Amino acid sequence: MKWVRALASRAIAAAIFWGLDVRHGTFPPAGRLLDPFTGFWRNDTRGDTPPGKLDLPGLAADVRVVWDSRRIPHIFAGNDADLARAQGFITARDRFWQMDFVSRYAAGRLSEILGPSMLESDRFFRRFGLTVAAERCWALMSAEAKTREIMEAYAAGVNAYVRTLGRSDYPVEYKILDCEPEPWTPVRSLLLLKLMSYDMTGFNTDAWMTAARTALGEAVLDELFPFDPPLVDPVIPPGTRWDFVRGAPRPASTAEGEGGGGHIPEVRVPAIAARGASAGDDVDRRAIGSNNWAVSGLRTRSGLPILANDPHLGLVLPSVWYEVQLAAPGLNVRGVSLPGAPLVVIGFNERIAWGFTNSFDDVLDWYAVKFRDASRSEYERPGGWATTEFRTEEFRVRGAKPVIERVAWTKDGPVVRDAGAPAFSQSDVPAGAALRWSGHDPSNELMTVYRLARGRNYDDYVAALASWTCPGQNIAYADAEGTIAIWHQGRFPLREKGQGRYLLDEAVPSDAWRERIPARENPYVRNPERGFISSANQNPTDGTYPYYLGWDFESFERGARINEILARATSVTPEDMVRMQTDTLNLRARAALPPLLESMRGRDFSDVEKRAIGELVTWNFENRAGLMAPSIFSEFWSEFNARTWNDEARNGLASMNWPKSEVTIELILKHPESSYFDDRKTAPREGLGDIAFAAFRAAVKKMTDRAGQPGEKWTWGRWRSTRIGHVAHIPGFGRENLVCDGGVGIVNAIETDTGPSWRLVVALGPAVAAWGILPGGPSGNPGSKYYDSGVDEWAAGKAVPLVFLRSADESNPSIASRTTLRSAR
Amino acid sequence: MTGVLVCFAAMAALGIATPYWWWIMAVPFAFGAAAARTKGVALRTGLISAFLAWGVAAAYFYGTGSRIIAGRMAAMFRLERPWLMVAVTAAVAAVAGGAAGYAGFAFRALFKREK
Repeated sequence: MKWVRALASRAIAAAIFWGLDVRHGTFPPAGRLLDPFTGFWRNDTRGDTPPGKLDLPGLAADVRVVWDSRRIPHIFAGNDADLARAQGFITARDRFWQMDFVSRYAAGRLSEILGPSMLESDRFFRRFGLTVAAERCWALMSAEAKTREIMEAYAAGVNAYVRTLGRSDYPVEYKILDCEPEPWTPVRSLLLLKLMSYDMTGFNTDAWMTAARTALGEAVLDELFPFDPPLVDPVIPPGTRWDFVRGAPRPASTAEGEGGGGHIPEVRVPAIAARGASAGDDVDRRAIGSNNWAVSGLRTRSGLPILANDPHLGLVLPSVWYEVQLAAPGLNVRGVSLPGAPLVVIGFNERIAWGFTNSFDDVLDWYAVKFRDASRSEYERPGGWATTEFRTEEFRVRGAKPVIERVAWTKDGPVVRDAGAPAFSQSDVPAGAALRWSGHDPSNELMTVYRLARGRNYDDYVAALASWTCPGQNIAYADAEGTIAIWHQGRFPLREKGQGRYLLDEAVPSDAWRERIPARENPYVRNPERGFISSANQNPTDGTYPYYLGWDFESFERGARINEILARATSVTPEDMVRMQTDTLNLRARAALPPLLESMRGRDFSDVEKRAIGELVTWNFENRAGLMAPSIFSEFWSEFNARTWNDEARNGLASMNWPKSEVTIELILKHPESSYFDDRKTAPREGLGDIAFAAFRAAVKKMTDRAGQPGEKWTWGRWRSTRIGHVAHIPGFGRENLVCDGGVGIVNAIETDTGPSWRLVVALGPAVAAWGILPGGPSGNPGSKYYDSGVDEWAAGKAVPLVFLRSADESNPSIASRTTLRSAR
Repeated sequence: MTGVLVCFAAMAALGIATPYWWWIMAVPFAFGAAAARTKGVALRTGLISAFLAWGVAAAYFYGTGSRIIAGRMAAMFRLERPWLMVAVTAAVAAVAGGAAGYAGFAFRALFKREK
């Protein structure tokens, strides 16, 4: 009996030990996590008060870090290498887990720590070639002495921090996910930059467009997805003269690799085109984009320029950006960095300021590949067969056997999805096609931000842009001399109009990317007569620009609204610009709602529908959180688009992508009799009023079903509440149910889980001044009070003054403490 | 009582000095195997001392800077109050310590000659 008792009790104790020591599925190892001495309890607010001294091996001289009252670090070093090392060290202290996790995500290695659930994501990024892209960039950057010095010093600083970590110091996410920190490398920094490039340029509808062309015809697609859409006010003011004449493109024989032959004939698309389109894109809900603008002294109260920028990204905690000031001889820059990468991306120094919006150019194409036989060892190229390169990808999967895949690479790029393989959920990847992506080209964007940080004037800004390749950006500029400018910058493939709008063919010479648009001939404008520059991801130019950049730019609303405000702005102050960043006017509603309401006149509405109509009729078109009208219009517009467009999918087309809002609005305004308003699936011919009424009725029913009678739950801030989730989706580590103004197509672009990831306003002058806010805070520790310290002010549309120090010794009431980083020799 | 104090002190010291959580099981197991007079004493001593070692420490950290992280962890575990994490921490330790103490006593019993 005692044996039974002994064995049973030991088995129970062992089971408890095992239960507490090991992660079970997504349930963390509770023993290690709850241990008060090394578990989550130690991820407290201790780090909120930085120590006076810290050791940082490898420094040539002491580095001083001044912490302001918002706990933003201001780092002062004696040289560039020490500065980068200190930035890596300080950033890692706050954000290492985020850096580590996101770079593993980009590298396609999350299944190593999270298990089989992440295998598809890993397969996608690995096969997409983000790691290859990062390695190619590093090969280029490491050959340049300055960027190599900065990247290596930054990595060394990060690793100096990692070496200080004991188990109790681990960021809490390691304890929850039961994994270990990994050493940092320059390639891991570049993985983060490549992930950002993918986020900004990785979208495409080439496969759907190809299928739609077969089903609907090219004329229909040109009408619904025009190259020069209506209502759009382009980035470069219409009428701007180009100070160059486009040279004749070289013949196709100069294509990358080899080639020769004709010139953009009918695109051949084999079987891959038959794959269905992406499931009806709900463009209405996309709020990934950005705003930037600069107002010249002609329109400001100070007589000197003001620059504003708010990049819209997925909202996450810890924040996408890390605020910092960096100073070394010849350099004093303030702004936001990408945690895990050196220097400042968006910011200002004493003389100049700059800001980014995504350019949305087409820099990603898919090429149908014809392999010679089942071995795939050769594929057809113009003039013969080329040898396929294979890259073996091994996926180590936690709790499962490793998965090994051979990825075929053509001269263009990887076959992301093999023929016959299931679709990826991340992107509409055509099966059996090779990817050609600018992000795979070696580039040195770090040199751009390095030169911007040291820039003093317009010439420095233009020189800095030369190394910016991908992702293409609208880079706004203003300086203390009074110059404003914007360059639509990137290294764009020189192509014929429409090339890459549909799937291309590896074997057709004219399909190949040839040269690039000369960088000096990228669209730009300097000191325009109108006294301001701006961009909001819309079309970069009017039809006079002699090169083709793409067709899938953002809808017209934000750009048009920004220009509308600035065109009548006088005596502008920075406070005006902060307010403008939270402007809520809904141009889509202002244009479309009156004719839609008119088209429904005389219909038989129910009581609740009449109430909803009443809200819309009295609406001032502002997307304010407390109003019901924005919710009603949002649902109405979504239903209206669904009823107008979804039935257009025919002739084997599986689903219909919706045209952009400007196309639909143009139809409503100018072609209300259009057959697009007829529901093809019903016998009687419907018109605009019929579709509008059915859509309105469905929208009201949806809202009533979900939120009852019109009231608090119908208000915009409640109906589409905003959340800022944790980057690894750990419950409780984000912020939920934020009540915010704004929305898709609104200058204040806050949506459900996307929005301004950083707001910046800079007033140039003898003493530069700036305001800004992050939807988060400096710390990446969920146990810190600085983890989400900016969220409430951000949600309320506020911005705070940014402390900008001239020296480490400057006395400033906003300075909270100082830390000296000492070289540990 | 002496056993509880000794075990408590040992767990706290070893918890602070080493990165291992399982002292709340190893110490009661050793006590049960080496010093407990009865299985009840072994179980109670392990349970109470582990409860105190982690409970007191968690309460201390809760009061000195860990309230925010406790709130987030509570949300993760779908608990409504941050302080419940102190109770959960102490309860888990108590179960583990009690089971280990009992197992230690049963282990020693194997080598006792039956009368």
